[in-house]
Amino acid sequence: MAKAVKIALAGEGGQGVQSVAQIIAEAANEEGREALYIPNFGVEQRGGVSVAFLQIGDEKIGSPKFQTADIVVALSDRAVRRTSQYVDGNTTFVYDSSIEGIENDIPRNAGRILAIPAVETSRSELHPRVFNIIIMGAVIKATNVVSEDQARAAIEKKLGYKFEQNPKLRELNFKAITRGMELVEKAQ
Amino acid sequence: MSEKPIQGEKRVFMTGNEVVAWAALAAKADIMYGYPITPQNEIMHYWTRMAPKFGRKFLQTEDELSAGFTTLGGVLSGRKAFTATAGPGNTLMQEPLSMAEMMRIPSVVVIQQRGGPSTATVIYSQQEVTMTTFGGNGEGFRIVYSTSTHQELFDYTIKAFNTAWKYRFPTFVLADGYQAKMRESLKIYDPEEKGVKLIQPEATIGKPAVNGVKEPVHVRNTYNTEEELFEVLTGYMEDYQKCAPEVTEYQEFDCDDADIVVVSHGVVARAAKVAVQELRQEGLKAGFFRPVTLRPFPADQLRSVADKTKTLLFVESAFGQMAKLAKESIFGSTVNVETLYKPGVGITSEEIVAKVKGVL
Repeated sequence: MAKAVKIALAGEGGQGVQSVAQIIAEAANEEGREALYIPNFGVEQRGGVSVAFLQIGDEKIGSPKFQTADIVVALSDRAVRRTSQYVDGNTTFVYDSSIEGIENDIPRNAGRILAIPAVETSRSELHPRVFNIIIMGAVIKATNVVSEDQARAAIEKKLGYKFEQNPKLRELNFKAITRGMELVEKAQ
Repeated sequence: MSEKPIQGEKRVFMTGNEVVAWAALAAKADIMYGYPITPQNEIMHYWTRMAPKFGRKFLQTEDELSAGFTTLGGVLSGRKAFTATAGPGNTLMQEPLSMAEMMRIPSVVVIQQRGGPSTATVIYSQQEVTMTTFGGNGEGFRIVYSTSTHQELFDYTIKAFNTAWKYRFPTFVLADGYQAKMRESLKIYDPEEKGVKLIQPEATIGKPAVNGVKEPVHVRNTYNTEEELFEVLTGYMEDYQKCAPEVTEYQEFDCDDADIVVVSHGVVARAAKVAVQELRQEGLKAGFFRPVTLRPFPADQLRSVADKTKTLLFVESAFGQMAKLAKESIFGSTVNVETLYKPGVGITSEEIVAKVKGVL
């Protein structure tokens, strides 16, 4: 029985970690795999660290949350501190290389630590609004939970209505997926 | 006549709150009465979005007391009515639901448990077991299904309407904030296409006259003498005990030769199932027991497990609310009892595996 891949994505509100988790979960579901996605939620309306818990496997998923993840992606300084509890020796810890002041907070016990310039890439090459899609590409590359084609199809399903109005957005999003994958490939 | 909300069977991927709204539509519920509270809100949101398309209705009341009483009013007038709540809302709901017990008004309530006591967290717990099974001033004449997956949330929400209308005891679908907010796959379907007969509601009051004669209806929740009340409640208890074997549901596996049996319910049973499977793969003799109905509790079934195993391990996201029901049902047993209680906190299979290994 192959175990489900466990993913924790964390960032500031507005960085889009929840929508990334949801798109990946839906892409996996479309491939006929079992996926379970649950956001953390509390009484705060904004200002907290947003964490998405995602599991993808071939059999029904067990408990919705988990103790340690196979991959943790942290997109802000607070997210790095918040998510180190989900890291053990089997975890790949991915963080954005532009985050400052976290030298002592990076969980050194992780199996692999990858710093990727996602913020920089979105700003200089693409557009800040596809930052989370770059992250999605990075997650897909690091976990192989869904194919690039399925990821594109899921984005199309989610954002297709916007692409109809502006076809350039489609190109931008698909490029962001590919760049995200490349960033992880390079960092490995 | 509006078309059916669900044609055939289809695989979907959605939150548990959305599942409940679809199930209520599929069960031909006419109206939802409700008051917002996290983590139940989206049941109302999805219901209000979908219901008008199929000629169904919604009324937002001023609080949960009112939501409960208007639900009962809807039922008395012949509508298939339901409500949903959580936490402190469930507390308020006990007053109307206690009246439903007394007046034998079929009613369906979906509970998405959150942390307690009081406001606590809006997130998750299994701390509303005592209140949902035995809340209010009364004797717990209720039926409580504790669901574990989105598929069950769909299946048992549909079933709850039939159970409530068949036996005329308030029926609860007890889920939690995790089930409310998480997304996973399930199959939704039209129950009648699967051969499930949906019980038609019938008006208790306000019926039209027959041959010019309008019979008075007296549905009581007040009694003048002790003896009168005693006679009524004795009859209710007989009805309850009679239907209990038909209503009781549970799941078990690997209990026959088990040294330890993990007893859990609801979403925690998912972790317990994975844990027991892993322990078995390692050659450890663990078993799995899960009450699906918390009220009536599968007492005979748990007792026969207690008679053949050495240890029962109660695992729940509360300080032993399910265990209280379980222990009462095995009274007199000499089985060893261990516990893993994490009130208001999720429990993973890894924690259960570690606990079992520590016991064995």
